[in-house]
Amino acid sequence: MTTTQNLSYATITLTVNGENHSFILGEGSHEVTPSHTLAHTLRERLGLTGTKVSCDDGACGCCTVQMDGKAVNSCLLLTVECEGKEITTIEGLGDPVTGTIDPLQKSFIDHTAFQCGFCTPGIIMSAKSLLTENPAPTRDEVKESLAGNFCRCNSHYHVLDAVMAVARKGGNK
Amino acid sequence: MKTFAHVNAGSVDEVTNLLAQNQGKAKINAGGTDLLGVLKHRILPEYPEMLINIKKITGLNIIEADEEWIRIGALTTLVEIVKSPLIEKTCSLLKEAARSVASPQIRNIATIGGNLCQDTRCWYYRYPDEIGGMIKCFRKGGKTCPAVAGENQYHAIMGAKKCFAVCPSDMAVALTALGAVCTLAGVKGVRTIAVEELYTPLGNVLSPDEMITAIHIPKPAPDAKQTFFKFTLRKPIDFAIVSAASIITIDKGICTDVRIVLGAVAPTPVRALKAEEFLKGKALSEEIADQAALLAMDGAKPLAKNAYKLEIAKTLVKRVVKDSVVTVNSLNDPV
Repeated sequence: MTTTQNLSYATITLTVNGENHSFILGEGSHEVTPSHTLAHTLRERLGLTGTKVSCDDGACGCCTVQMDGKAVNSCLLLTVECEGKEITTIEGLGDPVTGTIDPLQKSFIDHTAFQCGFCTPGIIMSAKSLLTENPAPTRDEVKESLAGNFCRCNSHYHVLDAVMAVARKGGNK
Repeated sequence: MKTFAHVNAGSVDEVTNLLAQNQGKAKINAGGTDLLGVLKHRILPEYPEMLINIKKITGLNIIEADEEWIRIGALTTLVEIVKSPLIEKTCSLLKEAARSVASPQIRNIATIGGNLCQDTRCWYYRYPDEIGGMIKCFRKGGKTCPAVAGENQYHAIMGAKKCFAVCPSDMAVALTALGAVCTLAGVKGVRTIAVEELYTPLGNVLSPDEMITAIHIPKPAPDAKQTFFKFTLRKPIDFAIVSAASIITIDKGICTDVRIVLGAVAPTPVRALKAEEFLKGKALSEEIADQAALLAMDGAKPLAKNAYKLEIAKTLVKRVVKDSVVTVNSLNDPV
């Protein structure tokens, strides 16, 4: 049976940072159209502007978020196709009530692992995905997992140090 | 991005019917890592009216094997191929090829079927509509290929007619070397076709109502040496300047079976048939590798700015041959 947007997708529901969000599918100013990317929805509909859009083509990694625990480019996903998915953005790492931040975020501050900071949320989300899957990665594994994130300020070396510092604390090595 | 109707397909039949009904105006979306770029920059002469999401179809995301074949569903993501113990054990060259594609984020969502069907990366073809209008090149029904007299450093050095864009798929090169076939489903039924024959100089052979559903790889001989090399300017997120995949069986120092495939040198993956013929029955050595490399370039006609690709391709052929010898010898060395 053909399930068109009008029948099954009157609304789209996704979980963002632990909260369920439903969007009405349509052309209205507060609705989500089929052509909206996840990055657009996160920023323009939910106000989660921590996720950045730079190249909008999957080449820079600034828009990286976690979908069901895996790092993905949110600029290359259609919101309508994320129905039922669990999304974590950079805003989901800290606790806004207590003000605590993720050890990875703390480590980026301690190691000054950024200059302008535009690429940082994407890099942290990529690194977070790696550490979730592999809490004690080698330096080369960190490099490989961050291969999809580009920093024009050239903070890559500091980033490696920051991620490795967390990896050593959390891992067995 | 300009909007479109969106449909979640529940079955392959539904997809092929929708494709047939919309007569080329509907596009399939799997991972979307290639298609979304195509849509955002409006590079197609006709913007699709409908997108068919095939991610919800069950049964297309599997890796399984029987006695003779390894079967990979079209929706299997590249990261699943990289992490599959079965693929690592039986088709290491496919694993290496999958690992060389794009970035971790893209491999997490990009599928093997989508990798085979991705559009070319030619910078004239891909020229964004928002910067002065898209370019109507030969591939889009225009009269000329702007690359012939233009910037052609990444274009074809052989096998091109009228359009000189190269096939960007790494999976196609690896699967051609492995002798894989793919299943295409259409409204008229199902057919199988060798991955080697999937491409023409102007794209793939899929008719407008067809989609790839699975890839079948004949189990390679366990002692065959598999190699995949990809020459790129940047290590991650880059397409091949030239790539080479090979599967070579050596018995008592003599090459008994060999397939060598070059990628990004032509609009299709290219089997180095003359080099393969030459290598069969020979004891592999440095000189033999050099001669095979020359034979692999048979028929090459580089454009004004891409003769350098000949040298890279020759070097990669030499390396795949030498790599096989080194590994086999070291295996036979007494410890």
